[in-house]
Amino acid sequence: MSSHYEAPIREPLVLGDKSYHDISVDVAAPVLGKASKSWWIVFTIALVAFLWGLGCIIYTISTGIGVWGLNKTIGWAWDITNFVWWVGIGHAGTLISAVLLLFRQKWRMAVNRSAEAMTIFAVVQAGLFPIIHMGRPWLAYWVLPIPNQFGSLWVNFNSPLLWDVFAISTYLSISLVFWWTGLLPDFAMIRDRTKSPFQKKIYGILSFGWSGRVKDWQRFEEVSLVLAGLATPLVLSVHTIVSFDFATSVVPGWHSTIYPPYFVAGAIFSGFAMVQTLLIIMRKVSHLESYITVLHIEYMNKVILLTGGIVTVAYAIEFFIGWYSGVPYENYTYLSFGAATGPYWWAFWALITCNFIVPLSLWVKSLRRNIMWTFFVALIINIGMWFERFDIIVVNISKDRLTSSWTMFQPTFVDIGTFMGTIGFFFVLFLLYARTFPVIAQAEVKTIMKTSGEAFKRLRAEHGDDHSHVQHVEQYPADAGPAANVEDKDFDSAFDDLTEEESENNEIDIELHRGKIENLLSRIGTYDPEVNKQDDLKKISGVGPVMEQKLHQLGIFTFEQVSRMTDREYDLLDEIISEFPGRAKRDDWAGQAQALKNKN
Amino acid sequence: MASNKKYWKSVEELNEDSTIVKALKDNEFVTEIPTDEFLGNKEVLETSSTTRRDFLKYVGFTTAAATLAACEGPVIKSIPYVVQPDEIVPGVANYYASTMADGFDFANILVKTREGRPIKIEKNDLAVNGGSVNARVHASVLSLYDKNRLTGPIVDGAEVNWAEFDTAVAQKLDGMAGKDVVLLTQTFASPSTSKLISEFTAKYPNVRHVIYDSVSCSGALDAFQNKYGTRALPDYDFSKADVIVSVGADFLGDWQGGSYSKGYAQGRIPKNGKISRHIQFEANLTLTGAKADKRVLATPSQQMQILKALTGGSASGLPENVVDAVNKAKAQLQKAGSKALLVTSLPDVESQTMALNFNANSEAMDVNKPLLTRQGSNSEVMNVVNGVVSGSIKGLITVGVNPVYSLPNNIEFAEAYQKLEMSLAFAMKQDETASLAKMVAATPHYLESWGDAQIKKGTYSLMQPTIRPLFNTRQFQDCLMQWTGKAPNYFDYIKENWTASILEGGSWNKALEAGVLASSAEMIMEEVKPAAEGAGAMEGSTSNGAFSALSQDGDYELTLYTSTGLGDGQQSNNPWLQEFPDPITRASWDNFLTVSAADAEALGLENYHVSNGALNGSYVNIAMGNVVLENVPVIIQPGQAKGSVGLALGYGKTAAIQEEMQTGVNAYPLYQNFSEVQKVNIEKAGGMHEFACVQLQSTMAGRSNEIIKETTLEIFNTKNISEWNAVPVVDYDHSPIEVRDKKADIWSPFDNTIGHHFNLSIDLNACTGCGACVIACHAENNVPVVGKEEVRKFRDMHWLRIDRYYSAGETFKEEIEKLENLPAFETFKTVEVPAYENPQVAFQPVMCQHCNHAPCETVCPVAATSHGRQGQNQMAYNRCVGTRYCANNCPYKVRRFNWFLYNENDEFDYNMNNDLGRMVLNPDVVVRSRGVMEKCSMCIQMTQKTILDAKRDGRAIKDGEFSTACSNACETGAMVFGDVNDDASEILKMKKDDRMYHLLESTGTKPNVFYQMIVKNTSEA
Repeated sequence: MSSHYEAPIREPLVLGDKSYHDISVDVAAPVLGKASKSWWIVFTIALVAFLWGLGCIIYTISTGIGVWGLNKTIGWAWDITNFVWWVGIGHAGTLISAVLLLFRQKWRMAVNRSAEAMTIFAVVQAGLFPIIHMGRPWLAYWVLPIPNQFGSLWVNFNSPLLWDVFAISTYLSISLVFWWTGLLPDFAMIRDRTKSPFQKKIYGILSFGWSGRVKDWQRFEEVSLVLAGLATPLVLSVHTIVSFDFATSVVPGWHSTIYPPYFVAGAIFSGFAMVQTLLIIMRKVSHLESYITVLHIEYMNKVILLTGGIVTVAYAIEFFIGWYSGVPYENYTYLSFGAATGPYWWAFWALITCNFIVPLSLWVKSLRRNIMWTFFVALIINIGMWFERFDIIVVNISKDRLTSSWTMFQPTFVDIGTFMGTIGFFFVLFLLYARTFPVIAQAEVKTIMKTSGEAFKRLRAEHGDDHSHVQHVEQYPADAGPAANVEDKDFDSAFDDLTEEESENNEIDIELHRGKIENLLSRIGTYDPEVNKQDDLKKISGVGPVMEQKLHQLGIFTFEQVSRMTDREYDLLDEIISEFPGRAKRDDWAGQAQALKNKN
Repeated sequence: MASNKKYWKSVEELNEDSTIVKALKDNEFVTEIPTDEFLGNKEVLETSSTTRRDFLKYVGFTTAAATLAACEGPVIKSIPYVVQPDEIVPGVANYYASTMADGFDFANILVKTREGRPIKIEKNDLAVNGGSVNARVHASVLSLYDKNRLTGPIVDGAEVNWAEFDTAVAQKLDGMAGKDVVLLTQTFASPSTSKLISEFTAKYPNVRHVIYDSVSCSGALDAFQNKYGTRALPDYDFSKADVIVSVGADFLGDWQGGSYSKGYAQGRIPKNGKISRHIQFEANLTLTGAKADKRVLATPSQQMQILKALTGGSASGLPENVVDAVNKAKAQLQKAGSKALLVTSLPDVESQTMALNFNANSEAMDVNKPLLTRQGSNSEVMNVVNGVVSGSIKGLITVGVNPVYSLPNNIEFAEAYQKLEMSLAFAMKQDETASLAKMVAATPHYLESWGDAQIKKGTYSLMQPTIRPLFNTRQFQDCLMQWTGKAPNYFDYIKENWTASILEGGSWNKALEAGVLASSAEMIMEEVKPAAEGAGAMEGSTSNGAFSALSQDGDYELTLYTSTGLGDGQQSNNPWLQEFPDPITRASWDNFLTVSAADAEALGLENYHVSNGALNGSYVNIAMGNVVLENVPVIIQPGQAKGSVGLALGYGKTAAIQEEMQTGVNAYPLYQNFSEVQKVNIEKAGGMHEFACVQLQSTMAGRSNEIIKETTLEIFNTKNISEWNAVPVVDYDHSPIEVRDKKADIWSPFDNTIGHHFNLSIDLNACTGCGACVIACHAENNVPVVGKEEVRKFRDMHWLRIDRYYSAGETFKEEIEKLENLPAFETFKTVEVPAYENPQVAFQPVMCQHCNHAPCETVCPVAATSHGRQGQNQMAYNRCVGTRYCANNCPYKVRRFNWFLYNENDEFDYNMNNDLGRMVLNPDVVVRSRGVMEKCSMCIQMTQKTILDAKRDGRAIKDGEFSTACSNACETGAMVFGDVNDDASEILKMKKDDRMYHLLESTGTKPNVFYQMIVKNTSEA
């Protein structure tokens, strides 16, 4: 993706004086390095939770759904609550990777990889529940429209549950392909950096033989765009369809036309909260503070504010319309006086507090940029969104039309264990991912280095926006893009040169070359600021800001001076400035300067 | 045509002398197969470990093994008939008319048998005065398959054979000569048994026969005997009464044998703008009180005064509202003249006499042909009990009664009983009495026995076995025959008796086929001794009779009653009945003290819902003199008279009862002097009881317009239908249209005009909430029993439930007004809590409504539930994957999910977990596995049977042929089932009736089940 202009007032997206090489090293470090103690501790906890959940699932399948707390009125509770919650969490990943890609939001690059991973892992958890919540999960394949031995038996295309099957499986596959596509150059980077032959083999397979050719990049860009285009409607459709499970029913509180947009907003809301939760930890643990910055967190908080606002408005509408309709059945829906004062008052207020009141604090900029507070709010939103689904499912059906069937729900240890198990499973996957996958789309981040990198921003601030550095670095094959990483020697990219020059070789030892300089100036003429006007030497192809600076040190300020240069002067120049032998001659600086001079 | 084409293999063929061509022609294989290479080298072959012999061995072995493996398969034992019985056609049910007479429940029934197994009880439509086929009678078929039954006679704790037993008994009886031996039996109401017993007592003059009704009707019997000379109960035809006043009598329950609901319901269905007026004065909330037009709270002591006031005395001293009600009731009774009926359950003779005298001119009372279902005399029984305790009685033979369990002083009695010289118990189970008896005669279930009965004078019925005795049992009568040395067996004896008199020359076979026979023949019954002088006098009885009990100390007046499920407790080991929810409290697996809200508050008793919605309640200790019942759970009962409490008899049995079914507390110790009303003291005890209550929200929260519609007779007669039975409206193009309008429908309708289209009508005026349909459905459809813990989790499997609602206001109408007028927050508090003082009560049987636009059908991902051509919503269990979406989306919440495997699972050790109990299963209905949804099928197996029978016979189906288990079981005629495509059908008339409405009609589900709304007669004049 081509570079773009970014106003200097914008905060940089990549902090520190990062070189391309640094990015590669930083991103590859968790994969190539050893796991820390804390990783092992967290992984062990997650694994235990996962195994416990697995035990609960096996117990459920072998004994019956009765081991859950459900009853004849409340046929769904934690199972579908967890399902909707996990699917919702998945939404942020797709939104970040697809929608923000189409809208050219560069800040997504630091977070999209993990967000997409989160999406996939969350959808895996989500997909578990519709299967295990079945009374006979071994027949789960019956919901697929496949030819079967039962004669003309076919699925019921009227059922929103069937739509779910299609929606979730489409979503999972598109997300997976999208994620993988983005991973290809990064896998290749790891393949090329690792010294272990085994890893080389594995990452070689995973990267599908990525070679970094221009054609690779071109296809990469195109596929990314196409997939983004395909995935964008999915952001809207998946949770819309999940909401149809409820919206198309006749249960008061479920039967609500506001559900599709409201569910989508809620999903993004909860998804971003989960991204925050994960990345705030990961940036710390994997030392990615330079890439996932406070700015990223603030941007995501703004999305949370927006979607949280939409959700809140939806709550208000639900409450108002329910009351305004005057239908007595609406008196007990999850957003109603009945719910607020009934036996599930705590669930109602948990919803209001977590999803409305606490996120309001993000309107305050200092809190929005406070990482600890953001983490806290994100956790609260995760809890709140779980309660939203719990309220929608349990509170609504607990007080349905026929009062004789009213009852309540209490989870058993299996309900709780299964949920905890999926959280454990999710973290097992995520932690494994964090150790084996490039968690930041380094190839993409490299593309925004020059526009959004802090060092470049500073450079531009010092030398003005017009101060072009592009021409200079373009001479090097390594500048072509992240494929520069293919070979180790190319890690010393142009940027490295520049910074090194600036930091170490910037000063020309005037005393050492005094004789040569005088000789040179005598040939091409001296510069008198009072008489002559300074020209912008950077207009000469081959002269960058650094070279210009050096020429200035030598006392060369005008095209007039440069245009007088011949082979002898070029040699002198090379002797004084040793870094770029022969460049001036090759580029015919004198000729260029002549032309520029005449233009003036 | 032969082809002349020549096919070339190669150009070599052009060369006529080619060796290659020749070689190809001569040799099948052009190049020689190098067999020698692998067979020629004998040395190598010999050194190889696999010889040809080995190879053949392997082949042989694998073939044999594969064959053996293929032979293996599940072994299902099925034993064919050696000689096919003529009357049994596999797959076709046989029905036998019979009679149940266990001393508490008397009913003429039909027994449905399949392949020789009785699987269901149905009412005998030929029976006119055939008792009541209630829930217990329906469930009795399962008691046949009770695995805790006695398997043979026992002498001194050892199982013996009948010959040994007979010898032992004969020895004993001979040894007892001259000593006082009592034959204590249930009421048989059986002419043949009576005769047989008199023959037995003639042979053994030291044996005297005493009848013991564990739940006594002695007062009424005494009163009737005093007035009319026969020891019997007057029969009432409530359909002939215009004004019914009941003082405490639960005549829709078990009052005096309880067979009045049919007549009552007839009078309650509006006909020509008229229905009877029913006023109930009572302390406990009973089924009868729930159905009354006007229910007045009165404690038993007040009831006494009310009865006096109604029959001429003064009402002074009663609360003002009661006085008013009494005066009005009195006026209405007088106005009705001979169409008035006054009934009471007050146990004393005086009260019963008052009612009897009052009704003397009533058309509704029949004294000429009274009921013979209760014969016991309190004083006689007391004499026996005292005799046993004092030791003056040396021997006791008990038949069909369980005095060690059911006597008020059972502990004292049990000790004395063990000291008796002779104790012989005829029992089906090793019950409390049998386990203490020295000799136990194992008796068969009534479905294995012969017998006859005269439930109502002049109406005889026969009991016939429908299965060969499952165990080594012999019925009481056969034993007597054996011991008196009479005719070969009881069957011949009955036949002889009947032929001699009852049949009046008619055919025995016809009588047996019909099961019932009206006969004017007076069969000489055993002379029942009149009560001792002074009409039912008992120790310490005063002129107030049994009210002596109330003179005891005690702050609360207790009314003991029998629950709809367990009755007197004979069938305690029947899981269907245990799981049957009480129609009023809707609690199953328990008995409990019902307490008024005011008293509960005063005593600090509480009922609350725990977090999963289940009900918990406080415990109390009930004290009456020295008797203390500890830890009796409490239910705070709306409509319970303040100062009164209620408790059901028949619970707390432990002997020969499976552990799960040892439920409740035994209330018989409080049944002092066999009086249902007692004074007791109550104090709170520690701990909380866990109830298994299937309905937790008692009110309709102001939704009665959509759930139970109701109006008054006056409005019904005078106002336009739109005022009292309006169809809900929805908006269409900004104007309201009825939901029944086609335009209100976004679905294309099913074509229901071809073939049959089944509808079910439920008349809420006629439904008494008796629950017979619930058990009938249980039996017909193999509905599993899930146990108390699961019911408590709200997972009962009943396909048919009877919802019971209390009004939050004085009436349901007031409840709606409250909902509409009160501010939001107050609304919830007000409309959700029943008016504890004296709410209006309504019952509503709810099963799958078989919606024509069923919400369940659209949401099933695998189309396991779909619409049938005959209107049913059908459930394909095999296709169900168990997402439960259909249940969530069902507005009626009638779908039941198999949370576990309920059959052949030790966790659910009920009838489906043993071979004996599984014999009751209906082979026409599949037993569902776990993980699938099930629900009412509108008994599709029954309608299909009817259709196929008619098809085979090549005839049209007449109206009335179609039925479901519930409509068959309904005695009051509240449920009518039929084909609405039949223009002549009753169901079509019901569908067009003005009272017809659909449950939750505004949802637009268009159910095939509809209800007839309640009309109450509120006129005071």
